[in-house]
Amino acid sequence: MTSSAILQAINGTSLAALLFLLASGFTLTFGLMRVVNMAHGAYYLLGGYIGLTIAERTGSFALAIVGGGAAVVALGYLIDRFLIRHTGENHLAQVLLTVGVAFVIGDVSLAIWGGDSLKVPTPVFLRGAMELPGGLVYPRYRFVLILFGVCVGAALWLLYRKTQIGAVVRAGVDDREQVSATGINVDRLFVLVSALASFLAGMAGVVGGAFLTLYPGADWEILVVALVVVIVGGLGSLGGAMLGALIVGLLDAYGRWLLPEFSYFVLFGPMAVLLLVRPRGIFGRES
Amino acid sequence: MRNALRVPLALAALAVAVLLPVAAGPFWTGLLTQMYVFGLLALSVDLLLGHAGLFSLCHASFFAVSAYTTAILQVRHAVPTALAAPAGLLAGTLLGLVFGFAVRTRGVYFILITIAFGYVVWGVAHRWSSFTGGDNGVTNVPFPDVGAVRVESHTEYYYLVLAVVLLCALGYRLLVASPFGLTLRGIRASETRMRSLGYHSGLHLYAAFVVSAALASLAGVLYVYYNRFVNPVAASFPISVEAALMAIIGGTGTIVGPFIGSMIILWLRNWVSSFFELYASVMGLVFIAAVLWAPQGVVGLVGRLRARLAGAGSG
Repeated sequence: MTSSAILQAINGTSLAALLFLLASGFTLTFGLMRVVNMAHGAYYLLGGYIGLTIAERTGSFALAIVGGGAAVVALGYLIDRFLIRHTGENHLAQVLLTVGVAFVIGDVSLAIWGGDSLKVPTPVFLRGAMELPGGLVYPRYRFVLILFGVCVGAALWLLYRKTQIGAVVRAGVDDREQVSATGINVDRLFVLVSALASFLAGMAGVVGGAFLTLYPGADWEILVVALVVVIVGGLGSLGGAMLGALIVGLLDAYGRWLLPEFSYFVLFGPMAVLLLVRPRGIFGRES
Repeated sequence: MRNALRVPLALAALAVAVLLPVAAGPFWTGLLTQMYVFGLLALSVDLLLGHAGLFSLCHASFFAVSAYTTAILQVRHAVPTALAAPAGLLAGTLLGLVFGFAVRTRGVYFILITIAFGYVVWGVAHRWSSFTGGDNGVTNVPFPDVGAVRVESHTEYYYLVLAVVLLCALGYRLLVASPFGLTLRGIRASETRMRSLGYHSGLHLYAAFVVSAALASLAGVLYVYYNRFVNPVAASFPISVEAALMAIIGGTGTIVGPFIGSMIILWLRNWVSSFFELYASVMGLVFIAAVLWAPQGVVGLVGRLRARLAGAGSG
């Protein structure tokens, strides 16, 4: 019992690492550009599929991660530049438009990669199980995923808090016009942040596809969970995405374990509490 | 001119609707029934979208919960329609009372929370297979049979749906023209101003949400007797977005708009999927096109056209 509880904690944390990759991009794009991009789940799935093909052709997992991410960056740029840009700050229009984009991406992916669950092949040194102290045995891949998530989180945090680009982005989140008035090219900043978000989503697809597998519908499933992360953490907050991912990841793992038929219901809990106590999320601010 | 044309137009449309099953045959009768049912769902979404300014993406939940409740009662427990249908309506409305707390948020937060709510319901329908039948759902739902009203064919059911939808449209018209409807539009225009005038905006939005959920639930009951089965697809996200899309394509804030939108979308789906496999892509492109080129919908386009004609005529 206790050992299962511990294993579920690790399961939850590794899911949290994956959710963070997706939610951080979503939340930063919203924070800076006020853009709600519902195609993020589709970016995840497409990046995963492209990474899968790369991994099968070249046998390199690292190349798959970079390739999957880069392909989504290119596509994301076009969608941003030619479609989302036209919606201004109308969130309703953004949601409908990007849902449409997600439908197209999902459908075309189905035509290319088919309807079966596919698994991104992992390198040999990440396969198999490892022993943890206390005699517990755990899949090595998911353990490394936690480390990977922590590294990406730390890198993002450093970029956001300690570099000049990060300072400009933070300033942009607070007051875009003011930043623009100081002579900083806000447009270029937007392209940069949106490319980063796309890369994170595509990379998450490859990393997640190696243990959650890729299938039609996986795009929406992961997106909704990432949305709950963002809602709980507070839109636009990187720290919120971290904390939210951890809360949702752990709840999901324990939910699947204790109440398998109602595992989706578990997501409802934190949102309900939040609606009653803090409608804008833990780190959310009044707009 | 506008009002003079309105009554004959409505009567003509009603005459066409009544005569169509005779003229068009069973295929179109079925498709039209579906168009009315989804038009009603789109209308329920539009009460929030077109009047209160809230964009809900969880209306498939109310639709599906009422459909499931009615189907399970009727099929598994042999409960008569006279009880099963109201029970479905009630179940969906009760869920609306719970989900209605989403009105504590506005804008993007409201959209995202309703998406997540909707997903929870889909997940339960999909996973709780011992009760909901999993992906197979609940099958063999009979035609409704309420004492004097005993439906025995698709054509008869068509008339029943037509009558219910017309009654709803009339009620809806009274509702949006009432002080309540005016208050909703006032909140959409400026919530702070309505508050300072003494209106409890949160309570009004909550009430609108519940009424809208009840309307969606009614559509769910009509749906399950038409479809004769219900599975998790009814609760899925695409149903919620498509309902919103129907309202937007037809024209938000109107009564005919959602029905026109429903007819366009369902006709398009039927037509496209008969020769093209990538149906979902076409749907996606419709979403994109609607946002970029027709944000006011068909009703808006007609209005603009008419304004231009009137301008040309008088000037």
